[in-house]
Amino acid sequence: MSSAKRPLSPHLLIYKHQATSSFSILHRICGVAMTFGTILFAYWFTSAAYGPEAFETAQSIMGSWFGLLVLFGFTFSFFFHLATGIRYICWDMVLGFDMEVATRNAAVITLFALSMTALTWYVGCSRMGDL
Amino acid sequence: MVKFALPAGSNPVKGKLHKNETGATNIRNFHIYRYDPDTGGSPQIDTFEVDLDICGPMVLDALIMIKDKMDSTLTFRRSCREGVCGSCSFNVDGTNTLACTKPIAEIKGDVKIYPLPHLPVIKDLVCDLSHPYAQYSAIEPWLKADTPPPERERLQSEEDRAKLDGLWECILCFCCQTSCMSYWWSGDRFYGSAVLLQADRWVQDSRDEAKGERLTELNDSYKLFRCHTIMNCTASCPKGLNPAKAIGHLKNQVARRE
Repeated sequence: MSSAKRPLSPHLLIYKHQATSSFSILHRICGVAMTFGTILFAYWFTSAAYGPEAFETAQSIMGSWFGLLVLFGFTFSFFFHLATGIRYICWDMVLGFDMEVATRNAAVITLFALSMTALTWYVGCSRMGDL
Repeated sequence: MVKFALPAGSNPVKGKLHKNETGATNIRNFHIYRYDPDTGGSPQIDTFEVDLDICGPMVLDALIMIKDKMDSTLTFRRSCREGVCGSCSFNVDGTNTLACTKPIAEIKGDVKIYPLPHLPVIKDLVCDLSHPYAQYSAIEPWLKADTPPPERERLQSEEDRAKLDGLWECILCFCCQTSCMSYWWSGDRFYGSAVLLQADRWVQDSRDEAKGERLTELNDSYKLFRCHTIMNCTASCPKGLNPAKAIGHLKNQVARRE
């Protein structure tokens, strides 16, 4: 009997989530999110060059609750992708492969990304009045 | 290619309930993947009410008990029952492991047993491993040397021998190989973690003289570099080995040579 006629054993839906595999997929998602986020940034900046009306429109989009949410997500993606990226460089040097180290680093990355996002927004918001 | 859903006819449906009518009190439900090539049709998930009081402590003990006392048609591979043969590798409770070294007590609630993921199923828990075996033979897992053989064995220092620790212990159960998403989506061209750990075993061997050829052969965007360090392999290895690290070492060796 050819293997084409045989059923394929279940995979994704039965496999339990692992901390390390979740970080792998999150790294990718953040990377893709930032690609689109960069296009948004390009629109924001070019609108300023285009004229006061265009910039006003862009400002109102970015300043809306949805725009702010996207920017917040972008900030988190940036710091998360940065930290996991550094981890990939370490892995390329054959460092940090032990399961305990990898799991601990995953916690460090989460903490770093969350606190840097919070710090960026805290500094950003508190300086708003100066501009 | 990435295909999240199973192909038509591969989705398991609810199967038979094998009740335990012996009046046992310490019952645990075992949900087991069944597929019979003779009758065809969809695979099923059968439920067995296992009396833990008359069953050994490991998941394999339960499977053997079911085959002996409840349903003799249940088909699975097993041999040594002590974690050295690598036959009874299944997906137990959501992760790949050897049934013989997995205590039932470690599992909370019902026990779910599936064949190793993303492989053609021959019958019940028995998968077709021809493809990973062919990949294993493709890395030529034997000592290669051009220098004439010495009168006795080829000697190795204690330090060089120590480099093989964590590699030689692999029993080729393919738990790691089939736990990897990259292998699920690109297994036709990506060698997979078990095979690459074996490749590293020969690259690291001081007596092997074909290191350069081996690395040239592996330097391929699929064969080796489809590994994205997801690390499901290391998380699942029932022998506590680290295939992800072995692959990292291979990538590093390839990069250093470029």
